[in-house]
Amino acid sequence: MTDKLSRRDFLKVVGAGAATAAVLTGCGPASRYVTREPYTKMPEYNYNGQSTYFATTCRECAAGCGLIVRTMQGRAIKTEGNPYHPVNLGKTCARGQATLQGLYNPDRLRNPVRNSRGESYQTGEKDWTEINWDTAIEVVAQALKDPAGVQFLLGPAPDHLFDLVREICKTIGAPAPIRFGALGMFEARVTLGEAARAMFGRPDTLFFDLANADLVISFGANFLETWISPVAYTRGYSKMRKQRTRGILVQLEARLSQTAAKADLWHPIKPGSEGLVAAALGKLYAEQKFGIAPAAFEAVDVAAAAEAAGLQLEALENLTALLLDADRPLVIPGGAALAHEHGLEIAKAILALNALLGNLGKPGGVFHTPVSPLGEEYRRPASLREMAELVERMKAGKIKTLFVHGVNPVFELPQALGFQAALEKVPTLISFATFPDETAMLADYILPDHHGLESWGYQRVTDGTGQAMLSGAQPVVAPFYNTKSTVDVLLAAAGLPFKDEVEYLQNQVAPLVEQTGGFYSAADLPSFWALFQQFGGWWKNDVSLSAPNAAGATEKKLNLKAVEASEQHEEFHLLVYPSPILAEAGANKPWLQEIPDPMTTVMWNSWIEINPHTAEELGLHNDDVVRVVSPFGAVEVSVYKYPAIRPDVVAIPFGQGHTAYGRYAEARGINPADLFGPNFNEAGDLAFADLKVRIEKTGKKRELSRLESKLGVYGEGMEEH
Amino acid sequence: MASLPKIPEYKAEWAEGEAGRWGIAIDMDLCTGCQACVAACSMENNVPFVGEHDAGYGRQMAWIRVERLWEGEYPEVKATPFQPVMCQQCGAAPCEAVCPVFATVHSQAEQINLQVYNRCVGTRYCANNCPYVARVFNWADYSNYPEPLANQFNPDVTVRRRGVMEKCTFCIQRIHKATDQAKAEGREVRDGEVQPACAQACPADAIVFGRLDDPESKVSKLSKDKRAIKLLEDLGTQPRVTYLKGGYHGNLG
Amino acid sequence: MQRVFELLKKKEIQLLLLIAFMVILSGGAWALYQTQIPPEQPIQFPHDIHVQLQIQCLYCHPGAQRQASAGLPTQQKCWACHGQLRKYWDPAAPVPLEQWPVELQKLAGYVERNEPIPWVPVYIVPDHVHFNHRPHIAAGFACEQCHGDMSKQKVAELQQTINMGWCITCHQQNSVNDPQKRIKLIDCGTCHY
Repeated sequence: MTDKLSRRDFLKVVGAGAATAAVLTGCGPASRYVTREPYTKMPEYNYNGQSTYFATTCRECAAGCGLIVRTMQGRAIKTEGNPYHPVNLGKTCARGQATLQGLYNPDRLRNPVRNSRGESYQTGEKDWTEINWDTAIEVVAQALKDPAGVQFLLGPAPDHLFDLVREICKTIGAPAPIRFGALGMFEARVTLGEAARAMFGRPDTLFFDLANADLVISFGANFLETWISPVAYTRGYSKMRKQRTRGILVQLEARLSQTAAKADLWHPIKPGSEGLVAAALGKLYAEQKFGIAPAAFEAVDVAAAAEAAGLQLEALENLTALLLDADRPLVIPGGAALAHEHGLEIAKAILALNALLGNLGKPGGVFHTPVSPLGEEYRRPASLREMAELVERMKAGKIKTLFVHGVNPVFELPQALGFQAALEKVPTLISFATFPDETAMLADYILPDHHGLESWGYQRVTDGTGQAMLSGAQPVVAPFYNTKSTVDVLLAAAGLPFKDEVEYLQNQVAPLVEQTGGFYSAADLPSFWALFQQFGGWWKNDVSLSAPNAAGATEKKLNLKAVEASEQHEEFHLLVYPSPILAEAGANKPWLQEIPDPMTTVMWNSWIEINPHTAEELGLHNDDVVRVVSPFGAVEVSVYKYPAIRPDVVAIPFGQGHTAYGRYAEARGINPADLFGPNFNEAGDLAFADLKVRIEKTGKKRELSRLESKLGVYGEGMEEH
Repeated sequence: MASLPKIPEYKAEWAEGEAGRWGIAIDMDLCTGCQACVAACSMENNVPFVGEHDAGYGRQMAWIRVERLWEGEYPEVKATPFQPVMCQQCGAAPCEAVCPVFATVHSQAEQINLQVYNRCVGTRYCANNCPYVARVFNWADYSNYPEPLANQFNPDVTVRRRGVMEKCTFCIQRIHKATDQAKAEGREVRDGEVQPACAQACPADAIVFGRLDDPESKVSKLSKDKRAIKLLEDLGTQPRVTYLKGGYHGNLG
Repeated sequence: MQRVFELLKKKEIQLLLLIAFMVILSGGAWALYQTQIPPEQPIQFPHDIHVQLQIQCLYCHPGAQRQASAGLPTQQKCWACHGQLRKYWDPAAPVPLEQWPVELQKLAGYVERNEPIPWVPVYIVPDHVHFNHRPHIAAGFACEQCHGDMSKQKVAELQQTINMGWCITCHQQNSVNDPQKRIKLIDCGTCHY
């Protein structure tokens, strides 16, 4: 070291001086040159330094919960539930809380771009040229001039965009828009709807009145996680437990899910045996109560059903005793239970059991949800078979322009469906994505829509509440980037006679002004519109659930298939469940990534759940990477020894494994949808629960970050300490 | 001149007899483990995320965590009821006694434990002495988010820097806001008027917050319920969080 | 270690250390001084004139009465008066903008460009302190008790060293007769959270 003080050292010393000053004065100078810039023109509802609250609708899933967003000085800083909103009554889930991290996500798309589809199309690399919105609208307008070649693919929520697109398609003569969401696929919603049509004559989603039931038997319905309307059903669960006689929850599924963890009784039944178990319960119940079993359940062999489910006969008898004891029993079909080749029959068996229990249309029973106040019949999202048909049309070159909004098919659809390959046959793909998701990366044009908290809208809410309602959305902050509402783009491109989105919305909600029995009423449209924004929607005060038509429900014969008894030992049933925290679109929010999975406490990654005994037999330890091979694909993922899963079943959560979608989601975990094949049930839903996989050792190890300690669990990791 | 409050000579002296002021009752029969409280708390209190690597080291910063344990072996395996654990705001807190710089002090006014960020020098003695593992430490400047993620910060709560211990505050900023408002209107804070972020979000209504020194409040009634237990009560920490265990049915299986 | 001691015995090293010490000290002193002088403001706003015109403090800073921050007026509020001051803007004989006082020209410029005025806060507390105006006004304190007599200041100047000692001293003095109040007023959690 030299004796001289170099210039660099001198600068260091001076720096230290400033640092000392910061310590002495309590960080004073650091904030000295901060400026405070008041509004140039204060919004009349605002007050400097005080929060303003806006009511809107959560867009993190299709359930349509109401939000109140706290904003301060033009920034949104906290979301809370809207206490008046019939779906969530002031409550939110973790995804709703984290919606701000979508709004402020550093990887949001900020400009409309054209992606030249050259070599980059194959490699997924970006070759983006910014365009302006006039050009963008011109592109859309040109595409709409060839109506036969136009196809819209929208997100699962039945919102105002869907209405507009449907109207446009009808006017220009294009095929009707398709709605799709991965959660609907995992919930096998179409199957449930088709079963409701077969049994009760109406294809609605059903409302299960958890709150008033005193015994709930759930066939793997994960209603406390992601199923249909999780916040509404969690409220229902809470009420069920708080009744004078505490309601009992029984969960029948192969893996102890977060919902099953709350059950008083959990039976790990074999995947595919749900229908047989339901029928056996029906037979036992009817024989003991009425002395004779109805046609639906007559044929089932109770002992064989117990055997197929891997249950003791005694367990079925105990469940029957519980059913006989209960005043208001309820049976719920979960998504994985219906995602079998004969899933529709399983759904019918479960609905028939409800009919037998006599709970249709009674408190604690099964209902039809009311039709939305805009007087539309129920329109469901597409089943997976319909998506496969879309892919076929794409492959046949029938689709010239594919518009994608609110859904990420490249990620969400099973790889075996070949959506990505079929895209090559589509000359133009236009994405309206807010985030750079996998589909947007392959698009020719990305015309980013505002984030949900920046946009107007309404959404029909048909699940989770008995009140007919329309949930309203409004921007809580001004748009941050050069994005444009898709409705505005389409209005301009299609040349419709509306000035902008708001005028369109006002026109749409105008019929509600005339309706009576609402939460509020207004004399004219402008005051109605103001109240619509203020309360975050419009709903009727009265619950208008209707009773399903029970006639003959238990008299139709069911065609339940037996579960294959013999199996190759090396093959496992694969159970894929949507991650309770990430669900279909949460992976780009760092806080959701870091929230531990409720059951495994794993953060930031994917894992495969294997029964500890099975793992021992296979010679696997926690964090060992295994190769999961199905006939349609393979993934490599770390092992989590899960104590509460059947030894012949393995489970992987869905939600991770993005190859795009921003820095927090990219290259993290695996996507189990890559393993699915194009197998459908009778209703057209994916029969994903039938899938069998092989597990291969790789010899690699990849540590999972977990909240719970790994030390001492199964005695592992202790040798180093 | 009225006499000033006597400064207690040792912990147990003043801790004794204190009913506590604010308290939480958590019904474990209702808690579904959905983690909405964790997300809500983090959003309200500017709790940063640390990334996969640091999270694997147990440096996750959440002020509230949902615990579950396994009991038994397959097929007789059970997950214990989900149990959200946050700072128990002990009446006689083990963390307070060990802080060499008085950064961990007892608030006599609100009767909760405070963490004074500007005093904290990061010895981490308090975290070591906390039997509930309720305290988390800023191992790095985790709040240096890429723009514009920092826009979500709540201006009512300090953004903590590296080397500072932190923990649940019972959302003291909300308590202050509500008491301030009540005072301006010349009344007492009503029961249920102030809710911490976790209780407000909880979809199952499992978390109830309120005044423990008001016998009519929901929380003090719940904390006298026959199902009420407190965590590690025999340590004499006087926790202000009450857990309502189990349901009424016991074991059906 | 031995080498370090030997180095320390050298005259020039001692001198260097002394210089380094002085630089750090003066740097600290300079930074301290910086916190105590009125900062450069975008407009030399004359508080005195406005107070002499008997405009209430709360007219422009109404937040003090009802919330934590006193708030700064929007330029819309400034212009509500200045836009129609007949002295400068008489429809019969308007005074051209160039002949207005310099500071008012600046204001007019901000209004014209619809740009917020980047005021530099004078009374600042660090981020870990949460000061709330409302209880202070509610307790009957007049603005000048902390901010000084504004009729004698042009741009706002710091009238006291804002540090915790100053806060606590006042809190103690005002709770001498009320132990309950004192508990609240000297509680860490009242300001730090």
